[in-house]
Amino acid sequence: MRLFWASARFQALKLRHSLDDLMVLVTLPLFTIAFMAIVTEAGRFDLAPYAVVGTGIMAIWSIALFVSGEIIDSERWNGTLDATVAAPASLATIVLGRIAVVTLISLFGLAESAFAAWAVFGVWVQVHHVGVFLLTLACTFFAMVGTAMIMSGFFVLARSAVQFQNSMSYPFYVLGGVFVPVAVLPGWLQPVSKVVFLSWAADLLRDCLQPAPVTQVLLRLGIILLLGAVAMAIGYVLIRRVLHRVRHQGTVSFT
Amino acid sequence: MSTGENVAEAVEIEQLSRTYQRKRDEQPRLALDHVELRIQSGEVHGLLGPNGAGKTTLCKILSTVLLPTSGTVRVAGHDVVTETDAVRRLIGIAFGGERGLYTRLTARQNLMYWSALYRQSSREARTRVGSLLHRVGLADRADERVETFSRGMKQRLHLARALVGDPRVLILDEPTVGMDPVAARDFRVLVGELRTEGRTILITTHDMAEAEAVCDRVSLIDGGRLVATEDPRTIGRWLSAYERITAEVVGSDLADRLQQLPGVAAVRTEGPGRVIVETDAEGACAEVLRVLVGAGVTSISTGRPTLEDVYLKVVGDRGLVVR
Ligand SMILES: Nc1ncnc2c1ncn2[C@@H]1O[C@H](COP(=O)(O)OP(=O)(O)O)[C@@H](O)[C@H]1O
Ligand SMILES: [Mg+2]
Repeated sequence: MRLFWASARFQALKLRHSLDDLMVLVTLPLFTIAFMAIVTEAGRFDLAPYAVVGTGIMAIWSIALFVSGEIIDSERWNGTLDATVAAPASLATIVLGRIAVVTLISLFGLAESAFAAWAVFGVWVQVHHVGVFLLTLACTFFAMVGTAMIMSGFFVLARSAVQFQNSMSYPFYVLGGVFVPVAVLPGWLQPVSKVVFLSWAADLLRDCLQPAPVTQVLLRLGIILLLGAVAMAIGYVLIRRVLHRVRHQGTVSFT
Repeated sequence: MSTGENVAEAVEIEQLSRTYQRKRDEQPRLALDHVELRIQSGEVHGLLGPNGAGKTTLCKILSTVLLPTSGTVRVAGHDVVTETDAVRRLIGIAFGGERGLYTRLTARQNLMYWSALYRQSSREARTRVGSLLHRVGLADRADERVETFSRGMKQRLHLARALVGDPRVLILDEPTVGMDPVAARDFRVLVGELRTEGRTILITTHDMAEAEAVCDRVSLIDGGRLVATEDPRTIGRWLSAYERITAEVVGSDLADRLQQLPGVAAVRTEGPGRVIVETDAEGACAEVLRVLVGAGVTSISTGRPTLEDVYLKVVGDRGLVVR
């Protein structure tokens, strides 16, 4: 546990000194404004939750991809991976603690989007179901941490990590129903999006911003948790693969 | 120590080989070739060899970061492959160079983080980190960012980092690269202290003088093979026997005369009138110089041979003994 907290603390310090990692949070309001402009222009204020939740989740996912996903890789570039492996500490726990902090900070993206919508267009998206909303946030946090564990291992193991990284943003915004609900996607895409936790999270978050009662709350939260747990398990396996490769090849190869 | 006491060897390396293969269709490259080495508990052992000799590979295997291809390695009796956790608790490692630190954090923040990796409570860590910073002479820069540090200061921080886990076996891979002479002297003092505390230390270097100054024994490694393990003074003697004299302008007659002198190993001509004389016996250098000066040659320089030259000689000598 001490290792987890020390890693989290370390990541917080690191972020404080490399704010460029959080650049997404600076540009985020621009995206929110762009989407809100469409919403207001069309006079469809009922769609404001889509703009706010969509751009907020976009920030969360993007920070996961480019900050959490690079945690092990940056240790490699920094020349600290070897010494980390040589220490009597679990690399997965270190990565977990660090990802937790990054993810926690990224959640502020949602609040930021809501604020931008209000400040620029005077549209206040109200949380109608506070309890469910908070629970959804907690489950989303968990699932995002798990998924980021996969990213951090995968981007080191994959041959051309950078290409993967870039191509893992917009496809997931579509599959995750981030801007448009999965229900309006072509039928053949819908089963795929069901295993992307974002689609469940985005739907639930939007539902919480609307007055109508939220249905099947426990089931939907349970699915987010389940997908998060599966992701975390895969993440652990991938990080073990990374260690295996370091020790066998002497490097997590650059080929 | 009483003779009845079972003094475990700190490091036991048996028939250790390691190959690297970058691509599947590539020829595997042998980085360590059947290395045998034993380091006594409390010994300061130098591993001396040129770039590419296999020093870092050996350090990585000792610190469980890299697996042997064949052979066994034990640290204080624990196998580095099967008992990694036990080994990791016992060792501290510093890989040399500028990298390997979190430059945007302060020295103290760096060490605090690493101490958590060595399972220390935060209170324990605070006192330990404080005293380590003091010990490596970084106490008054402790709360400054590492990116503002000189190379030598970074090296000292590396050393402190390696000591964070209070290791019994300390592995230092080229710890003084980039240190200024004052820092290098302080480093030697520190190694002396650590030795007094009973720690076993393996230092890799390609600086003979450094090895001579701090080590109890020195192993020469080249091309992945352990060429010799000797008292550093013996190696010092080899070095003083092997010298290299460069002179201009030397005619071919004079070059022939030099060749005949006792203790002259080789005379090579390089360009018009420029010769390089290599000696392999003590006192031969002085004789060569006398002859050169006597012949009116004034452009003369002498130098210690490079380590590579010494290895070549040592390997060569061994080869003769064997055959
Ligand atoms: N990860 C690696 N992949 C392939 N070859 C390597 C790798 N690391 C080292 N080598 C090769 O192994 C040999 C020994 O390298 P190294 O142990 O770094 O030597 P030293 O530390 O003495 O300079 C060199 O020929 C080097 O090119
Ligand atoms: Mg090296």
